[in-house]
Amino acid sequence: MKQLLLFVLLVTALHSNAQNKTLAVGDQAPAISLLQPSGKTLQLSDLHGKIVLIDFWASWCLPCVKEQPLLKAIYKKHANSGRFEILGVSLDSKKENWEKSIQRLGITWPQVSDLKFWNSVPARDYGVEELPFNVVVNEEGKIIAINLHDKALEQFLDQQLTNK
Amino acid sequence: MKHLFLWMCLLLVVQQTVFSQAKEPWTNSQLMATKTLADKITSNQTKDLLVLNVGPDALIKGSIDIGAAHDAGSLQKLKDYLKNVKKDKAIVIYCGCCPFDRCPNVRPAFQTLMDMGFKNAKLLDVPKNLKVDWIDKQYPTVQ
Repeated sequence: MKQLLLFVLLVTALHSNAQNKTLAVGDQAPAISLLQPSGKTLQLSDLHGKIVLIDFWASWCLPCVKEQPLLKAIYKKHANSGRFEILGVSLDSKKENWEKSIQRLGITWPQVSDLKFWNSVPARDYGVEELPFNVVVNEEGKIIAINLHDKALEQFLDQQLTNK
Repeated sequence: MKHLFLWMCLLLVVQQTVFSQAKEPWTNSQLMATKTLADKITSNQTKDLLVLNVGPDALIKGSIDIGAAHDAGSLQKLKDYLKNVKKDKAIVIYCGCCPFDRCPNVRPAFQTLMDMGFKNAKLLDVPKNLKVDWIDKQYPTVQ
């Protein structure tokens, strides 16, 4: 009877683990390899050696659009150090809307998308369940923060980029 | 005095109920659960049902992509599409970009349907978004 109970517990645990794909701080960031608006492929590993803010957003997501000026200020402050990059991962499905928003918002950091809306592969890999969502990855590609916004994000990045 | 207090409480409850209902262009009875629509699609019972996407992308199998209804062009496309559709036609519109309180598309689209006199229009009730409430439940999507 005990063995049966253990078996049931094990099956339940394995099942819940299979369903819960959420990432944690300390995990290796899943690979991202997607097209930029120019048609060139950019991989997350291309940014190895830098602290990277992966920003999951979309032109149709109002809170994401509202967050862009803050990201712009952070980028302006830290991009010249050569140790920081933002990687925008869009959940847009229409290239035209994506490109127009990049232009309208004056986004200058790298942008990638598979144009698959909520079927986006990196959104699935990173367990994105709502937007905006972000992850901060360190120089070795390990996750050091998940879903920080506003002052918390700014302070965290200031701390990471000025303390070293 | 006790009765007066009870009557005031009752009035407040009624007022709150009416107000919360009135601020949206749809009523609770005009919401369709995702499972209801998914079951209809899976069992091929959508012959007499028009499923329209008024959000960023037509992700639901068999739905027609109108485009995000916060955009004036897409809203006009919705009006043009529905111009010759019978007013008693069963219609379901959906967005699913985000929860209703943040969605810029469902209100103008549903209001348009009401203004045009559609009597059998429903809004797909997507509490969070299409990922959580449709894809993750493995409901039928466009391939």
